[in-house]
Amino acid sequence: MMREARIRRMPMALSALVALALAVLPIPTVLQAFRPDFLVLVVFYWSIESPRAGGLTLAFMAGLALDVIQGVVLGQHALALTLMAGWATHLRLRIRVFSVLSQCLTIFALLTGYQFVLFWVDGATGNPVTAFGRWLAPVIGALLWPVLNALLGRVHER
Amino acid sequence: MVAFRNTDPAGRTTGLLLRCVLYSLLALCLIIVDKRYDHLGKIRRVLSIVAYPVQIAVASPFEGWDWFRESVTTRDALRADKTKLEGELRVAQFRLQRYEALEAESQRLRALRDSTAAITDRFVIGNIMDLDLDPFRERVLVDKGAQDGVFVGQAVLDSGGVFGQVARVGQLTAEVILLSDATHAIPVQVNRNGLRTVAVGTGDMGRLKLPYLPTSADVVAGDLLVTSGLGGGFPAGYPVGTVADVKRDPAASLADVDVKPAAALDRSRELMFVWLKPQAAAPAKGAAPPAPQPSPPPSPGQTPAKQASEPPKAARVAPLPRADQP
Repeated sequence: MMREARIRRMPMALSALVALALAVLPIPTVLQAFRPDFLVLVVFYWSIESPRAGGLTLAFMAGLALDVIQGVVLGQHALALTLMAGWATHLRLRIRVFSVLSQCLTIFALLTGYQFVLFWVDGATGNPVTAFGRWLAPVIGALLWPVLNALLGRVHER
Repeated sequence: MVAFRNTDPAGRTTGLLLRCVLYSLLALCLIIVDKRYDHLGKIRRVLSIVAYPVQIAVASPFEGWDWFRESVTTRDALRADKTKLEGELRVAQFRLQRYEALEAESQRLRALRDSTAAITDRFVIGNIMDLDLDPFRERVLVDKGAQDGVFVGQAVLDSGGVFGQVARVGQLTAEVILLSDATHAIPVQVNRNGLRTVAVGTGDMGRLKLPYLPTSADVVAGDLLVTSGLGGGFPAGYPVGTVADVKRDPAASLADVDVKPAAALDRSRELMFVWLKPQAAAPAKGAAPPAPQPSPPPSPGQTPAKQASEPPKAARVAPLPRADQP
């Protein structure tokens, strides 16, 4: 059992690292608002598929990494990701049997919640970003979910 | 099958809630400590070293591609570049001829008026790393950090003019906040008539605003704006931008002035970090307090000392329009 847990953590860490790199990958300025929160989606996937492997710890760590790499208030993404990953873990049994559409809608709700926490912390720390563009990321992320789910599923199976 | 073993609703839910609350509290504490107190600088600096490999890994393919393109440029392109640079150098040298004399004269005159503007002492060149930070904040990551002596609030220039200032310093990297960030403000002066005001960012890299000028202010399209040096964060006399458009609505008390930044905020690759020369006559200035002035102080002589303790992010407190002469 111990060995299995270790095997499961490797793809988890790797996919998180790749997603972190994707989060700062330079893309044209016009497209930047459309960039989905890859790392958040990856964290959701692991929270739903194997919460025992430490989905919340992953969420907290990934959030901290985002905070450091994006240079925002330390703990902002960590808080948002922890809360939403907790929620995703709570919903995991339901999400797994949902149809693709319902899954997308659930993920959309989770991503919106994530953005809202970020928005709230931004406001509370006196740095509000009121650009409407920030609410685009959840839509794109939700649309991307089935693809990412299938992709990570294949990684997971191996 | 992994999934089946983990489905233990009763046992898991309480554990989940507990851990969720614990982690959230930890994150909240981090936010509060990071925001309110300055203790996390060291931790962040260490964490930024951990993040460095990821940043390098992402940025290096793009830098490699640039290097590749550069190494396969043709002889003709290089020749054309060389001719262009020689031309620019000639013009620059021509302008420089009188610079020394003018600077000495300016110093003498300033000494007469008992006002000293901070003067640049030395530069360090840094390269912008190919990384996208937050899409809704205008910031870039530069490959110079605390180990090169970079400090928070330091002025950053590019070849065109003022680029921004250092918002955060890691051990190996520094985050520079651009002039155009919506939370950034810089004290400026109209070069033509010396009118002082504050230029604030709009969140759009091609545009700054002068929101605190009365409709009667003497500013026209084409005016060059230079740093006024007030507040001490930025060296005086560097170009910030040119006035692109002035809208005067008779019903409003303030004019609507658009400025085009002089620095190539969206294209620059190399930045200069500037150290100001400490001056005996101005004790408050030499130490280079970090924050830009939220409002232009009434006289150049007084630099509020409290500015030094404010982070640049918080710099934009609505200044009163009264400080500008109509």
